[in-house]
Amino acid sequence: MATTPQPESHLPLTPTVFAILLALADGEKHGYAIMKEAALPAGGGISLGPGTLYGTLDRLIRDALVEETGLTDDARRRYYRLTSLGHRVLAAETARLAASLRTARSRTAARGVRI
Amino acid sequence: MSRPNPTLFALYRHALRLYPYRLRLLYQAQMLQSIRDAHTDAERNSSAISFWLRLFTDLLKSSLKEHILMSRDEVMRRPIFFHALTLCALLTLMGGGAAITMQQMLRRDADHPQIEMAGRYAYDIAHYHIPPALVLPTGFADPSTSLEPFYILYDGAGKRLRSNGYLKDAVLPDPPPGVFAYLRRHPTDTFTWQPGPGLRIAAFAQRIDVDPGFDLNPNPGFILVGRSLTMVQRQEDQLRTGTFITWFFLMALLIAGALFLNRAQFRIQSDKSRAR
Repeated sequence: MATTPQPESHLPLTPTVFAILLALADGEKHGYAIMKEAALPAGGGISLGPGTLYGTLDRLIRDALVEETGLTDDARRRYYRLTSLGHRVLAAETARLAASLRTARSRTAARGVRI
Repeated sequence: MSRPNPTLFALYRHALRLYPYRLRLLYQAQMLQSIRDAHTDAERNSSAISFWLRLFTDLLKSSLKEHILMSRDEVMRRPIFFHALTLCALLTLMGGGAAITMQQMLRRDADHPQIEMAGRYAYDIAHYHIPPALVLPTGFADPSTSLEPFYILYDGAGKRLRSNGYLKDAVLPDPPPGVFAYLRRHPTDTFTWQPGPGLRIAAFAQRIDVDPGFDLNPNPGFILVGRSLTMVQRQEDQLRTGTFITWFFLMALLIAGALFLNRAQFRIQSDKSRAR
C-alpha cells in the first residue's frame, strides 16, 4: 500500500530551497520575482543567480513541492506556485527552525545573552 | 529601461551551453529574461562589472552542480538490479583474483624445501667435491604415503645414479626427458610432475656443474628433489570450498538486498507519482 509523502522526509531544507519556498508562500511568482524576494533580508537574504534558481526549481518541481501555474504573461516569463506538499514542507521546516530558535534563545538567555 | 551589454549578454547566452541540455531546453528563455529584468534593477543598485561577475560565477558554479546532480540521478535511475549485477561481477572478479593469488602462494610455499635442499646438495657436491653418498640422505621416502622429500641424482646424460624415493615398493619413474634438455640450457627447473595416478609432485631440479679437474666417478649432472603435493591439494580444496561458500552467501545477500531496495524504490516512485 502506498504511503502519503511525509514533509519531514524533505527536511532539513537548504537555505536556497527554503528561500524559494518562502518566496512562493504568498502566491505565484515568476523567476525574477523569486530572485528578488529571496535577496531581501526577510526572504532569507540569498543571492540567487539564474542558474541556481532554475536548477533548484527544476528539482522542486520533480519532488512535487512546486508546480508551474500554466498561466503566463510572456512566453519567457513563467509563473510558479507551491503545491500542497510544498506548503506542508515549508511549514514543517519553519516549525523546525522555530524550535531551534527557541532552544538557542533559552540557552543563551541563561548566559545573559539575548537573541 | 536599458538593455544589458549586448556582447556580455551574447557571451552569457552561449555560456548557457555549459548546463545540461535538458535544463537549457526548459529554462534558457526564462534565465535570459531574468537577466534582462535583473539588469534594470542592478543599474540602480550596483556596478555593471559586479553584476556580470556575479552572473558568470553563478553560471559556472551552478552548471557544475547540475552536471554532478544529473550524473547522480542517472546512476540512481538505473535499475537496482543493474547495480547488483555490477557488484556481483566485481565481487566475483575480486574474490576469484584473491583465491588464485592464495593458491599460487600455497603452491610456491610447497616448493621451498626442495629448492633449499637441492641447492645445498648441489653446492656440497660441486664445490666441496663431497661424494654424493655422504651428502644425500640415507632414509627412504614414498611420496604416495609420506610428505617427506625424496631425491634422484642423475649423471650428465640423464642416467639415474642413486635415489631414496620409492613408489609403493617400486622404483620412482624418471621425469619427462624434456626436463634434462631444459636443465642443459638453464641452471634450475621447477615443475609439477605426476609419477603415478592421483599423485602430484612439486619437483625442483638443479644442474650440478662439478669442476672439470675432479672426477667423482661418475660425475653427477643433475639433482631432482620432490615431495608430494597431497597437503597442498587438501589446502587448495579447502580454499576453493571456502571461497565458493563465501561467494555464494555474498551473492545471495546482494540479490536479497537488490530485491528489497527495488521494492522500496517502487514505493517511493508510486508516492511521488501520487503526490503529483
